[in-house]
Amino acid sequence: MSLVFSAKTSGSDDLKAIISAISTLVEEATFVSTAEGISFRGMDPSHVALIDISWPNSAFEKYECDSDIKFGVRIDEFSKLIKRADKKDSIEISISDDNMLLVTIGKNKKYKMRLIESSATDTPLPKIPYNAKIGLTNTEFDKILGDVQVVSDYLTIRATPTTAEFSGKGDSGEVVIDLEKGSEQLTELSVKEESTGTYSLEYLNPVVKAVGTSVGSITCEYSSAKPLRIEFKVANIGRIHFYLAPRVES
Amino acid sequence: MKFSIIVDTFEKMENTTKRLELTQHLVELFKNTPSDLISKVVYLIQGKLRPDFDGVELGVAEKLAIRAISKSAGIPIKKIEEAYNKGGDLGHAASKILEQKTQTTFVKEPITTERVYETLYKIAELEGSRSQDMKMKYIASLLNDATPLEARFILKILLGTLRLGIADNTVMDALAVAYTGSKENRETLETAYNVSSDLGKVAEAIATKGLDGTKKFEISVFNPIRPMLADRVKSEKEALEKIGNEFAAEYKLDGERVQIHLKGEKVVLFSRRLENITSYYPDIVEKIPKILRARDAILEAEAVAINEDTGEFLPFQELMHRRRKYNVEKAVERYPITINFFDTLYLDGKSYLDTPYSQRRKTLEDIVTEDNFARLVPMMTVKTENEIEEFLENSINAGCEGLMLKVLNAPYRAGMRGSNWLKLKREYRNELGDSLDLVIIGAFFGRGRRTGRYGTLLLATYNDDEDVFPSICKVGTGFTDENLDQFYQLLSDKVTLKKNPRIDSKMEPDVWFEPELVIEIVASEITLSPIHKTAKDIIRKGSGLALRFPKFTGKIRFEKAPEDASTDQEVVSLYKGQKKIKQEIGQA
Repeated sequence: MSLVFSAKTSGSDDLKAIISAISTLVEEATFVSTAEGISFRGMDPSHVALIDISWPNSAFEKYECDSDIKFGVRIDEFSKLIKRADKKDSIEISISDDNMLLVTIGKNKKYKMRLIESSATDTPLPKIPYNAKIGLTNTEFDKILGDVQVVSDYLTIRATPTTAEFSGKGDSGEVVIDLEKGSEQLTELSVKEESTGTYSLEYLNPVVKAVGTSVGSITCEYSSAKPLRIEFKVANIGRIHFYLAPRVES
Repeated sequence: MKFSIIVDTFEKMENTTKRLELTQHLVELFKNTPSDLISKVVYLIQGKLRPDFDGVELGVAEKLAIRAISKSAGIPIKKIEEAYNKGGDLGHAASKILEQKTQTTFVKEPITTERVYETLYKIAELEGSRSQDMKMKYIASLLNDATPLEARFILKILLGTLRLGIADNTVMDALAVAYTGSKENRETLETAYNVSSDLGKVAEAIATKGLDGTKKFEISVFNPIRPMLADRVKSEKEALEKIGNEFAAEYKLDGERVQIHLKGEKVVLFSRRLENITSYYPDIVEKIPKILRARDAILEAEAVAINEDTGEFLPFQELMHRRRKYNVEKAVERYPITINFFDTLYLDGKSYLDTPYSQRRKTLEDIVTEDNFARLVPMMTVKTENEIEEFLENSINAGCEGLMLKVLNAPYRAGMRGSNWLKLKREYRNELGDSLDLVIIGAFFGRGRRTGRYGTLLLATYNDDEDVFPSICKVGTGFTDENLDQFYQLLSDKVTLKKNPRIDSKMEPDVWFEPELVIEIVASEITLSPIHKTAKDIIRKGSGLALRFPKFTGKIRFEKAPEDASTDQEVVSLYKGQKKIKQEIGQA
């Protein structure tokens, strides 16, 4: 029985952004393909951050999958290969008869890459109520992280019904960045309950940089001393959710 | 298997130095270990993942470990460094810090031995550009789920600082007791270990197949054999008393002992400590198949650096230039060697371990084609004190360290030290001739057992022309625990913030002292040094003189002022008195 699976994108940017985001957390990634589309869920080895991606079939130029399959790749190998694509190149992936990953870039570049045994176990998503929701452009968020990094390794977010406050504190000093509701940078602010959470920049920075300019805007959702969920909005892709466990003062 | 079982054993073992108690703790641990895990447990208790010759090295730097602790605990790197410097043991510091961890995680998995082993193995295997980050994440993942005590030992294993004071023999004793009920069976285990060099494999054999399983170990090419070792004697007379009236004397070369494994065109080299050192000697690898008339073989030889122009043997340190990862080809050209064969352990499908020495040597002579590169170690049969003395003089004049004396009809006892082989070194007869009185100018803080005291002292001679104290060596041996305490007390009020201008040293110790205290040192040799400043530029431009194998005699020369210390001129004349005479090629 030969199985049919192939997925073709129209450009290479979205795939590059996704692979790059995943590569900040794990070394090996297992993707799941079903008739509905491709999904990935993985946690970094220290169990502090998690990525949940769902990429619906409608996002592809061409998508075929007649039975559910899992395939594992070494993310650095896959990433190197995807980077060989120009912005406008389409990328088509499928599985060969000898169980290799076939990657066709543009019209005539055909890679064959070894697959690895997929070891992923089901990673449950944190189930928590989110009391605060903040919307920003990704560029603005990246800038805030940069501002805070100067003095601190951690970002503290405090949201009230009227303000979103980003702050950081370290040995050398501290910083506060206030964004009022209605200001240009803040695309959304809805707060059920005033919330404060602290998160490690060591995890935030790489992933925000990785998705880069292919993401227009983001939404941060969290509750006091609870995980943070960031949604990266990419035009074509259903969902990229990044979860980060908080720091708590003991 | 819960990792806490191992860690509890480690903690108990740390609190004792009695071998019997150590063995008993291990026996209990082994009894609690499932047999499919025993090999891994045996590696872990020795702070390893695989036998040395497999070359699987954790090699995690302190910096990286500190980053991982910081990440896992969510506490700044600086704070961790402070705690570490105060205590001197990163494992302890980490376990304290992790008690106050602030970074939460999504899931918490209990730590099993399997997981610790597999994670450590992944860390050891990671390489490439992003490997440091991934290593850190794996370390953090273990620390996140570990109890403070578990974290302490995980870090010790990672950093290579797990020192439980257990020798291979203790492990074998414990295996014998745990699986056969009697220590008497250790000898069988030892034989298996000596030919396989793999305690984990031996443990697995006895755990799964019983004592009979360990009797089936055989010598095989590319699996190193534990080398036979020699007892040391101080004089020709003592040698004769120990091994009777006729034996072989060989030159003892000052090089690297190499175990050469050959099969067809493939060559693998192991060091005396059974590390794979093939990559440092591409010249041996290339030439061996042509030198030997053999299909497959395991031979022992000494690789010695030589001066190509004069044929003179050069000291051991010269070989260390080859211990590098890159540009080995260049080092091969710059530091040429000869390979000097001295024993046959295996040849064309047959083990020679039970064959008498004289026959093994004869076999060696039959298969080695001698040329400028490959030679047999000079050997002669000796009977009298005079013959030994004369041969010893010849060997010293040829630039060797002394003699190896071997019983003609003795088998090769892998891994054993005994009287069938004796070493007679010149340095045990009259060392440097004289001790030196040197000034303490600085110190390095101790680690491990020497935490909180000075572990190593930096010493200087006195240069009376310029009235300065040029450095000559670091010394860390010869100290008793009392000495260490005494030095700490004597020196702590001599600490200076800046280097005293009369001190001349390129080496930067952790603390500088007023040059006041003089101690007595013996050493085996004076060598040229790019670092130390004593007699700089006098023997060779750009080099000073340093002591090889310096050792504190126990005498603090309170009666001496620093200006009464040995002068650099004295060291120069001692250096000139050392004999290094051109080697006479072809002498045997």
